Amino acid sequence: MHSTIFVQGQFQHAGSSTLYAAVAELSPQGMLHIRCTDNNTQLAQACPPDYRFGSAVPGLAVELRLRDGAVFVPSDSHYRWPRLSKRSALAERLESHKLSVVAALLLSPLLLWWIMVDLMPMLASAAVPLVPDSVKQQMGRQTFYSLQKTTLEPTELPAEQQAMVRYHWQMALNQLSLEQRQYQLHLFKSDFFGANAFALPDGTVVITDQLVSLLKDQPDAILAVLLHEIGHVEGQHSVRLIAQSLGATLVIGIVFGNPEGVADLLLGSGAVLLQNAFSRDMEREADQFAIAKLAALGKSPQAFADAMSALLASHGDDGEQSSALLKYLSTHPDTRERIEQATAN
Amino acid sequence: MENNQQTMAQPRVDKVAFSGKAGEFFGIWIVNLLLSIVTLGIYSAWAKVRTNQYFYGHTRIDNQPFRYLANPIQILKGRIIAVIIFALFFALSSLSPQAALLLALPFMLLSPWLIVQSMKFNLRMTSYRNVRFAFHGEYLGALKYFVLLPVLAVFTLYLAMPWALKKMDQYLVSNISFGGKTLQINTDTSSYYIAALVAFASIMGLAIVIGIAVAIIGFIGAVMVGDGIDSTAGRGAIAALISVVMFALYFVGFALSGAIYQCMIRNHLFERTELPGVAKFKSEMQVIPYAWLILSNLLAIIVTVGLAYPWTKIRKAAYLAGVTTVAVYPAIDSLVDEVQQDSNAFGEEAAGLFDVDVSLA
Repeated sequence: MHSTIFVQGQFQHAGSSTLYAAVAELSPQGMLHIRCTDNNTQLAQACPPDYRFGSAVPGLAVELRLRDGAVFVPSDSHYRWPRLSKRSALAERLESHKLSVVAALLLSPLLLWWIMVDLMPMLASAAVPLVPDSVKQQMGRQTFYSLQKTTLEPTELPAEQQAMVRYHWQMALNQLSLEQRQYQLHLFKSDFFGANAFALPDGTVVITDQLVSLLKDQPDAILAVLLHEIGHVEGQHSVRLIAQSLGATLVIGIVFGNPEGVADLLLGSGAVLLQNAFSRDMEREADQFAIAKLAALGKSPQAFADAMSALLASHGDDGEQSSALLKYLSTHPDTRERIEQATAN
Repeated sequence: MENNQQTMAQPRVDKVAFSGKAGEFFGIWIVNLLLSIVTLGIYSAWAKVRTNQYFYGHTRIDNQPFRYLANPIQILKGRIIAVIIFALFFALSSLSPQAALLLALPFMLLSPWLIVQSMKFNLRMTSYRNVRFAFHGEYLGALKYFVLLPVLAVFTLYLAMPWALKKMDQYLVSNISFGGKTLQINTDTSSYYIAALVAFASIMGLAIVIGIAVAIIGFIGAVMVGDGIDSTAGRGAIAALISVVMFALYFVGFALSGAIYQCMIRNHLFERTELPGVAKFKSEMQVIPYAWLILSNLLAIIVTVGLAYPWTKIRKAAYLAGVTTVAVYPAIDSLVDEVQQDSNAFGEEAAGLFDVDVSLA
């Protein structure tokens, strides 16, 4: 800067709404004088440590603030001060340059995708061992208690079928040298769940009467189902799912900022879709666990396919329909995909 | 300036002007989005400040813009606190529903403090003509209006809810001051009841439409199946169709009832609020255009997988500015900020730990 610059604008004293049409005069040494345009009286003067420039935002004038709270705003909203800080100028240049906008447009979705699909699950897996066992016990106990109160009824299976299921359960635990103490099998009748089985984080595994009846002629298929549920417990899927959902919710919340009412709804459904995607990944993991352990027990992976086929047949028509839309709304992978995976091994 | 030539006590009446441009804001948004992602969320505080600066700076009353004064570090601090609270609450409620229930009470007692804190912070960071806004509400008031009244309203089967909402708005507005003058508000309970009733009636009307639509689809489905089209495929397609239609109607209902309530309440609120001797307000929102704005914004966001977000935000701001008129009295030219007492306007001195807006957004 070799010469003094003059900038037209308006001036306001600290905390005062009175406006003065004014000229700011900035000397090469950075001395600032602000004069009233009407009568040329001096309104303010300051040396560099006592004034600062505001942020440069596209389409807006950059204000000049004095330490005491007075403000000078150039009339020309495109005017940029020569002594503007580099960082402030850089942010504006990035925001208004075509190249950086296009780059951001391409990179943002890719990075976001990577964070959700790779980074989040990785961090969640790393966080899971930090959750103490007592918490998992507590989680399992509480869920089990509320399920028992609401949707589970005592089993009505004949004694020999119960014994058959328990025999396979015991065999799986023994041969896979899993801790007996941790795992507990329960049989329940449940109209709510129908033919189903589920696992809780503390090692509680529940299989319904309906599922046992469905598979009563295929004991290996029951074994496959039990192994799948053990896979959920071994993989600590409940806790991981919570950690991943929390991470995803935080990322969406922070990155997208204030979702005003409507966007709120949208982000809400986005989070549900994402959680379902996480859930499908974990089902696949448990499937793989079951298939691998079947082999280790000297059984055919076909047993898993049999279990899935039987479920598919029992659920009937609605289970057979898997349009692209429904696929993303589901918490489980497509059943036929799961069968194919088992038979491919 | 030309203001001096105005005759005394004659207001300058004009619409609020909004000059933000969708293309310009798109660049700001997407670049800030990338920077926020790359910095694992840290830059999002800067992004918020720049976004607010953009919207405040492009909103003008009487040809003077608003200014957003917050420092990104304050925003960052508030966000870190919010993330910790949120993560703890989320983790606890997922791990143990009972613990979450126990936590609900302290959280309910904490929330009025958060509301007051947020109002104070955001208004203090808003400046117009170099004068800051201020919020004078205190914890007990917020506890009364935001916790006690709504809880009591539940016991009246929500019949007292519109009245509680009126009280909340009154509490918020009457505690806002600008240049030493406090906003005066004089809203009617009946207007809140009418707004709530009309919004509710619109939802009921829509529910009837949904019922008819589902019946028709079901009928068509039955006919199709009867025609011998592959029955499973037919039923599956109909189930999918019904869920899509329900989803769409849910959005329409949400947009419509929300638009009705917001239009009626905003119009009434602006009509009955004034800054004595300084400004009067008028809002002329209309239900159909606003409902269409909300709905088409939502559609645009869905269709563009979020990329239309900047455009929708600009569009909404432009609409709200366009339906708002402010009458400014000459007293505006000589207001003095009574809030600004600190000698250093750069805010370099360490702000208190809780001089922040504890908010994720």
